[in-house]
Amino acid sequence: MGERLSLRLRFFLFFALIIVAVPVLLGGGLWLASQRLEGNPVPPLVLFGGAAGMALILLIMWVWQMFDANIAQPIQSLVRDLQTLMHANLKHEIDIDKGRYLGLLGPVVREIADSFATARRDVAAEIESATRSLDEQRSQLEALLRELSQGVIVCNSNHRILLYNRRALQILGVTEEIGLGRPLFSVLNQQPFTLTLDRLTNRYIENQAGADPDRLMSNLVFAKKDGSLILQGRMSLIVEDADKSINGYVLTFDDVTTELQDLIKSDRLMRSTLEGLRHPVANLRAAVEMLVDMPPEEEQGRRAFENVLTEEAMTLSSELERFGEEYRAIVTSQWPMSDVHSGNLLNALTRRFRDDESIICDVTGDPIWLRCDSTTIVALLDHAIRKALIELDANTFLLSARESETRTYIDVSWKGEVASPSMIERWLREPIERGLGLTGEEILEHHKSEAWCEAAASSQARLRIPLLPAASKHSQSTSTAPLPIRLEFYDFNLLKPAEIGEMAQRGLRDLTYVVFDTETTGLEPSNGDEIIQIAGVRILNGRVLTGEAFDHLVDPGRRVPPLATRITGISQEMVNGKPPIKEVLPRFKDYVGDAVLVAHNAAFDMKFLQLKQDACGLKFDNPVLDTVLLSAIVHDHTNQHTLDAVAERFSIEIPPETRHTALGDSLATAGVLLKLIDLLEVHNIRTLGEAIEASNRIVEIRRRQAKY
Amino acid sequence: MPKSVLVVDDEPNIMLSLEYLMKRAGYEVRLARDGDEALTSVLEAPPDLVLLDINIPKRNGYEVCQAIRSNPDLSNVRILMVTAKGREVEIEKGLALGADGYATKPFSTKELAERVAKLLNGSDAADE
Repeated sequence: MGERLSLRLRFFLFFALIIVAVPVLLGGGLWLASQRLEGNPVPPLVLFGGAAGMALILLIMWVWQMFDANIAQPIQSLVRDLQTLMHANLKHEIDIDKGRYLGLLGPVVREIADSFATARRDVAAEIESATRSLDEQRSQLEALLRELSQGVIVCNSNHRILLYNRRALQILGVTEEIGLGRPLFSVLNQQPFTLTLDRLTNRYIENQAGADPDRLMSNLVFAKKDGSLILQGRMSLIVEDADKSINGYVLTFDDVTTELQDLIKSDRLMRSTLEGLRHPVANLRAAVEMLVDMPPEEEQGRRAFENVLTEEAMTLSSELERFGEEYRAIVTSQWPMSDVHSGNLLNALTRRFRDDESIICDVTGDPIWLRCDSTTIVALLDHAIRKALIELDANTFLLSARESETRTYIDVSWKGEVASPSMIERWLREPIERGLGLTGEEILEHHKSEAWCEAAASSQARLRIPLLPAASKHSQSTSTAPLPIRLEFYDFNLLKPAEIGEMAQRGLRDLTYVVFDTETTGLEPSNGDEIIQIAGVRILNGRVLTGEAFDHLVDPGRRVPPLATRITGISQEMVNGKPPIKEVLPRFKDYVGDAVLVAHNAAFDMKFLQLKQDACGLKFDNPVLDTVLLSAIVHDHTNQHTLDAVAERFSIEIPPETRHTALGDSLATAGVLLKLIDLLEVHNIRTLGEAIEASNRIVEIRRRQAKY
Repeated sequence: MPKSVLVVDDEPNIMLSLEYLMKRAGYEVRLARDGDEALTSVLEAPPDLVLLDINIPKRNGYEVCQAIRSNPDLSNVRILMVTAKGREVEIEKGLALGADGYATKPFSTKELAERVAKLLNGSDAADE
């Protein structure tokens, strides 16, 4: 009880008690005195006693006031200052002017407070820098893992997956079976792992003192559970620094099947060529030696030897041709290439020069589909253009693509001098910035290509790089009619929060999201348009789990119209034989779980999902966020909320070959979402409920605008 | 007056045969062992045809080819490229830089002689 009374009140009550005591004690004393005194002492006693009492009370009140103003109040304000300092604001100044009667208490408290604040700030700075370097290390590790050509899986000692790279999924040929926290043995055979882990653990325990790092690793051969792949890898233990316990292992591995096959093939080729050469060379040599050392007398004999020479020379020639052809087939580039739309490729290139006033770069001509690794080709062209700028003084470049029957070409033209073959060779020998550390020569070699510069009409120079034609048919690829833009949908009953309940309170940063996208045969689901591709990526703790993507083509059970093929690059042949939506949608539902669904223009995709869900016996009642609407909240100054525009605003680069693929667009949207969450905080939107509410307001505004 | 042919190659063993082959076909033959020598020879007295190997020292065949083509005085010089590089894209590069024809090593001498004759008789064909 007393705890709750403030210090000042307690002092006040204390003084009040004294004030009450003054008349009681004084009155009591005087009354006793009046009993003993003769005559009529009461009036003077009352008069003087009352006066003295009043004076005493006034004195006590004055002392209390002084005490309150100079001791109690300063102490209380000191306490408040300290509380502010500790819980809210480290920069808060402690005011000690008021408390000068407290002696050294004020200055001492201030000193303590200062050193406390400094210590706090130091700790905070240390935590921040540690977190930053941890983040850096993590992203470096992620980048490293991505670049590795080997599969990498990190497991804890219970064989549950903690980390893996995309290559691991590629090698194992799985998409959803491997995921964070899942058991390794749902995909791989258990025995080699348990045995190797036991062996390494024993070795570690026996040999802990002189732990040689090499002894914590072991090679192992293992197989996929279905027996389809034999893999070779290496397991290394992860030993906790602090307590020297083993808390998991790193598995690096490679699919040796293809390498083995290539090795066998080239070995076989070597052997057969060697044998194939031995005979004609033996025959040639014998015949030549005969002709030179012991020429036959008669014409007929000489002719016979000459016939052998001609015949065997021919055999040698054709044997060599065969060798060349077969060898080329074996070493066909393992470099990853994909079909790319030249418009996307060349626009990506011009974007690199947008901020550079010394270079004017423009795309001309009809776009085509071609096959290449767009990252390195763009880097190569970028390099060549900058070289031409410096060495040939050209500053206006026209980019175009064209195709012949067997080949496609990227042409860069400029007005002015032609680059000589030796000049181009020099350019190609330099390592290229942003070209993955490769030289132009190497990039061309990966593409089995050459580059040259020739004179073209009206004193133009044209640098040409031949590339392969697209691997799959992309119909109407040369049509230039503008692609229709997917309209924004506003049937927002679909987005009504279906009793999201307590999820509404959760912070946007703490939620799990599945960002998804569908590609469809057209824009009208109610008119028979169907899903042909569905993809999604998961965001957990603010990170896009690119390795755990969902990506499936769907047989729409109807013809894929040419326009859809043009936009999405998905042709009829590609969806033939793929599972129907009835099979894919339940798998997607499993993938989504209870995550928040996010899409760019979500109502469009949700409409397709919800038209199909009944037939599959599912219900997509997850909360939904739409990045178009969220973008409209934070960027209300513009109407440009297409995925390209929003990504551009956040400088999220969408690789041209993945734009308009469901997975590529999902990844871009995921990047956009993360940036939007940051910006929404500035607008005081922090929870899912607040985000949905703000989205609904935007819908309402747009609905009203649509009326006019 | 006999037509003249410049043989550019750095392998003496093939030059022996090519020189002999061209002489037997009735041409006046000159030889060059590298790119610089070839260009000097062409500028001194333009031949009717150059048998041009790509992998030669100093200036490679592409360079020589483009130098000849960029000189309007040499527009009558035919160029037949000869090389051990057999990839189609290299052949295309040679033709793009101004060669009139292309032969891959090893070749049939008879066919080579025929193609030289064809180029020299004006039926210019960049056919492969």
